Amino acid sequence: MLCNSINLDNCIKCSDCNAVCPVSIVYPAYPGPKNLGPELERLRLEGISCDTDWIEYCLNCYRCNLVCPNQVDISGMINMAKAHHKKPLIRKMRDFWFSRPWLLGRLLTIMPRLTNLMLNIRPVRLLMSRLLKISSNRIFPIYIDSDINVPIHDVPKSDSVIFFLGCSIRYNQPDLGRKVVLFLQRIGIKSVNIFSGCCGLPALANGDIKEARVRARSNTEYLIKDVLAGSFVVAACTSCGHMLKTCFDGLLDEDSDMKHKVQKIAKSTFDFGEFLMSRSDLFLFDNNISSSNLRIAYHAPCHQISQGIGRPWFHLLKRIPNLQIEDLDAGCCGMSGTFGFKEEKYKISMDIGQRLFDSIRDVNPQMVVTECATCRMQIEHGVKIKTIHPAELLLDLISAKT
Amino acid sequence: MENYHFDLIVIGAGMSGMTAVITALNQGLRVGIVNTGFGLFVFGSGCIENCQTLHKEAPENFNKAIDLFLENARLAECPFYGSINEIRYLPTIMGGFQAVSFAPFYLWKGNASESIRSAVVGINGVSSFNADYTAERLNYTAKFNDFKTNYVAKEINLSIKPKSVASMLQFANRFDFDSRFYDELQEALKPISREADLIIIPGIFGLRSKFQKIYDFEHELDCNLCELSNIPPSIPGLRLFNVLIAHLRKNGAEFFSGFSVKNLEIKNGHCQTIEVDIPARSLCIDFDSIILATGQFSKSLIGLDFFDVDEWLRPITKSGTVIADNLYAIGDLLRNVGGNDNRHSILTGYRAGMSIVERR
Repeated sequence: MLCNSINLDNCIKCSDCNAVCPVSIVYPAYPGPKNLGPELERLRLEGISCDTDWIEYCLNCYRCNLVCPNQVDISGMINMAKAHHKKPLIRKMRDFWFSRPWLLGRLLTIMPRLTNLMLNIRPVRLLMSRLLKISSNRIFPIYIDSDINVPIHDVPKSDSVIFFLGCSIRYNQPDLGRKVVLFLQRIGIKSVNIFSGCCGLPALANGDIKEARVRARSNTEYLIKDVLAGSFVVAACTSCGHMLKTCFDGLLDEDSDMKHKVQKIAKSTFDFGEFLMSRSDLFLFDNNISSSNLRIAYHAPCHQISQGIGRPWFHLLKRIPNLQIEDLDAGCCGMSGTFGFKEEKYKISMDIGQRLFDSIRDVNPQMVVTECATCRMQIEHGVKIKTIHPAELLLDLISAKT
Repeated sequence: MENYHFDLIVIGAGMSGMTAVITALNQGLRVGIVNTGFGLFVFGSGCIENCQTLHKEAPENFNKAIDLFLENARLAECPFYGSINEIRYLPTIMGGFQAVSFAPFYLWKGNASESIRSAVVGINGVSSFNADYTAERLNYTAKFNDFKTNYVAKEINLSIKPKSVASMLQFANRFDFDSRFYDELQEALKPISREADLIIIPGIFGLRSKFQKIYDFEHELDCNLCELSNIPPSIPGLRLFNVLIAHLRKNGAEFFSGFSVKNLEIKNGHCQTIEVDIPARSLCIDFDSIILATGQFSKSLIGLDFFDVDEWLRPITKSGTVIADNLYAIGDLLRNVGGNDNRHSILTGYRAGMSIVERR
């Protein structure tokens, strides 16, 4: 799926992408992926800027790419157009921070208690809404300053894994990170490296292509040595996994050496669920899971679907005895990382999520599981139901047994 | 790394692929589907053509195939009406008629041979449908064919969201999610319903709505409805696709949607693995049997040797050699050796599904 002129000519204007775009569905004024992607791309390639604010409304969910019968990289075209998009100062300032969750995380975890208190005081949120156009309806996640210190056991003859933490786990859910490392150790992996860099997807989605390139390059330089030595990169965040697999290639195409490194990393990157599925022959899944009487619902995040790996977590959880699990199959949650936090996009974000919320209410589960941190935020915000990463559930059930 | 393994992999989720999946699931097989796009559902509304003109050699299990498909369409909450011995002439958006034996419930009532007053309803501002043109053509074609229905063009006004362009896609999405739009459409159609026995309207009743919602709408309106498939992407076609996919998924089919098949590995007359072109690296899927339902436009996965199919629907070469003993071809791929319409798609989908079950 390369964003080149041949790819552009593959677009036959069938409008299938418009029929699945979550934004187009709830917000008909949005010109849709066909228009913002391939149609304007022709003009952009001729040097006509065609800049429009609508570019910012693309969720980067990749559903257009997936439905395209001719494999046109519509999202890629829109992402590149975002890079040249001009924004007013306030939105530019806000998106500067949203593009850098790593920087935000570092600053906000200096005094986490104070930060968490401040971020959730109504007047502060109103002020942020006024000054930075961040929706006052949104509740910020709790920031936690904690390193993931798990004793590393060297298991002979095991594979080596780099656990790509991602900003959300690093700064908001270090406990989940700890569980993932424990999990990896349980299945006999000496999880030596924990890498806490930012994948750069938020920067790409916010149109800060320079920052996205900086992240992509630093990640590549860091990861390549271990990857060449045979390590796998495992990401528990689907957006990080998606970024590592698909986007570095387009960002760092300046020289063939870099391209080679990027492709090598992409090939070695696994979603956590995908990685476990590939290890399902290990002892973990035989008789070691205790049963659970929970009734849960599973939501597949867009960036999990875009990786084309099936539904690994759905199948893994199905192995839990007595657990009732239903795949919600209700489309995009509408949060799309930082999109749902933006004042002018909050309503659209919630409208998109409505189908998912309704579906959760219909199924009426005791909890929802999903791999993506921002999907969890959106579901908890929209339905007020406990939502966790599937790894937490599975590890708890294994711990209870052993 | 361990691969996915299925009893059956179906490539393509058009009418034939879906029927094959239905058949296999019904027999308790584990089925995976690899597909991109909506298949030919973007063009049509899922009608099953006149069964009386089926080729004489069509096997007798056509009845079973149709029954199984219809039963699943009903369970997916998009029931079809009709019977094998019946022919109805249903209007098309270009002002012609198609002879069908079965049609989804939202189209079935548009029977041209009944002596009724039909209103062809256009929507003000929508450029993709012209009620005057369609009504004029329908009257002309009806007269030519000695049909009794009379068509009158009508136009309704519907609100359009600010700054947006009026399109059937917009209205269909609003029908799905906006209860106010449902009421607005009711109000707009009410005056027409008093004068007409049948309202013909291009695809508007949502991309995800099921039988009950459209039935309720029709009931409240107190007038029969006939929803035509509009210019691509056809709203009724996408709706049928969406409900069938959801139904199959619920029944255990695993979808790998959005990626094309890069390679089909055939070794010693046996096909074992396909490589799906997912990001970063290929996804290898293992299977016992594989059905190609890739339609007539996709690239050929089995090369130019493909000449015909044997009695199990396995592709054979010109000399009669089976290309792979567990590989089957169905649907529009067989356009040269069968036919390329929904009847044949359902028939071949069912036959291939049953072949696999019998040969296991």
